[in-house]
Amino acid sequence: MVLPLPPITPLSWPEQPGDLPRDLPDRDALDRRLANEFPSAQGPLSGIQGGRQAAESQLQRMEAKRYGRSRNHLKGAVTRLSPWIRHGVLTLAEIREAVFAQLRDRGQGRDDGSKLINELGWRDFWQRMWGDLGDGIHESQEELKTGHDPSSYSRELPDDVREGRTGLACMDGFSEELVSSGWLHNHARMWMAAYLVHWRRVHWKAGADWFLEHLLDGDPASNHLSWQWVASCFSHKPYVFNRGNLERYSDGRYCKSCPSADTCPFEGSYDQLESQLFAPQPAIRDVPSRRRNGNTRGSASAAFARPKR
Amino acid sequence: MPFQHPILWIHEEALGPHNPARLAWPDAPALFVFDTQWIENAGISRKRLGFLYESALECAVTLRKGDVAAEVISFAQRHQADGVVTSVPVDPRLAGIAARVESQYPLERLEPEPFVNLPRPPRLGRFSRYWREAEPVVWEGF
Repeated sequence: MVLPLPPITPLSWPEQPGDLPRDLPDRDALDRRLANEFPSAQGPLSGIQGGRQAAESQLQRMEAKRYGRSRNHLKGAVTRLSPWIRHGVLTLAEIREAVFAQLRDRGQGRDDGSKLINELGWRDFWQRMWGDLGDGIHESQEELKTGHDPSSYSRELPDDVREGRTGLACMDGFSEELVSSGWLHNHARMWMAAYLVHWRRVHWKAGADWFLEHLLDGDPASNHLSWQWVASCFSHKPYVFNRGNLERYSDGRYCKSCPSADTCPFEGSYDQLESQLFAPQPAIRDVPSRRRNGNTRGSASAAFARPKR
Repeated sequence: MPFQHPILWIHEEALGPHNPARLAWPDAPALFVFDTQWIENAGISRKRLGFLYESALECAVTLRKGDVAAEVISFAQRHQADGVVTSVPVDPRLAGIAARVESQYPLERLEPEPFVNLPRPPRLGRFSRYWREAEPVVWEGF
């Protein structure tokens, strides 16, 4: 199916030489024009259409209660609204109102909508943090808690990751989806970031910058601070996952056909993987003891889903 | 700052009908500029540009590319504008552009409708601190 262009609004003031065209006949023409005007910008268009009409259509599909129950699953009822939110095509205020209206219409309560409202809150939080930190988001906010020397992290994205040929069906699947569609489920972003930073010892910024090349919702603040959260320079400990976790939330779709299934680097318990990936930390007796309520991750969680074990 | 005939600078954070500049000035000539320096430096892919372009096509905006501040100023001059209106930018890159425009033209930055209206700036640093203050206010509208 070939996507059309969105409805084009006519201008009420004259064009000038050098204006980019608004009278493109179809999406192929847009693709060619972009290739011409921006030769550094790689790759074809996404199957996700920009613009208000597409945004409203996607908003119609939102189901707040189902979102709350299934958002960690790759096939869960995630809204996929992030590209339009990021570029202000939809506002957080109007989505909030849409959630409230849906809850009322369906006789649902605050609890049913609270997870989705929470995640809209995260978006607002990241924007406020950006206002606060400015270009400081490009620097690690805190020390790493991986036990490794920061300089041991490579600044280059490995070619096999970039090209989707690691031999790991999950990671290659995620790369492919990132590059072709410009959108990835939150959980896939977390797994991918953890793989790159902790298993491949790549500096968080290399992966974060790569994500911004491709994500239609690419937002420096939420993206970079979330990568830092995974890396542990904006959190109390590094984020890791294991095969069981990934398998569970992807319905085993990748593991089933993975060429590396017998040498899976994610096999093992969290304890095993942590002792494999990280070096012993200095004693934490110097760290002020605070909020020992078991919520070591919760208070520092990023826009990515809180890790479910 | 009461403008009589401003132009609007529409940027990447507000490519929709709720852009406060657009709401305040529904008929004013408006401009979106693809920031070529950002696109090259950040290795922005064509699909990101396509998304922006499609979003911009549904808005009434002239589309150009290049040095954003220079293009905005030029557009304002061409339309004999007495000022430039935009939405408050969060991205320092866009804030820098706004500041450069402002060195040549009176510029007004309008706030979009917020997600939550807090009486004073909330605590940040950790989501839980912010949300403790913000969550009850968000739900007041339910």
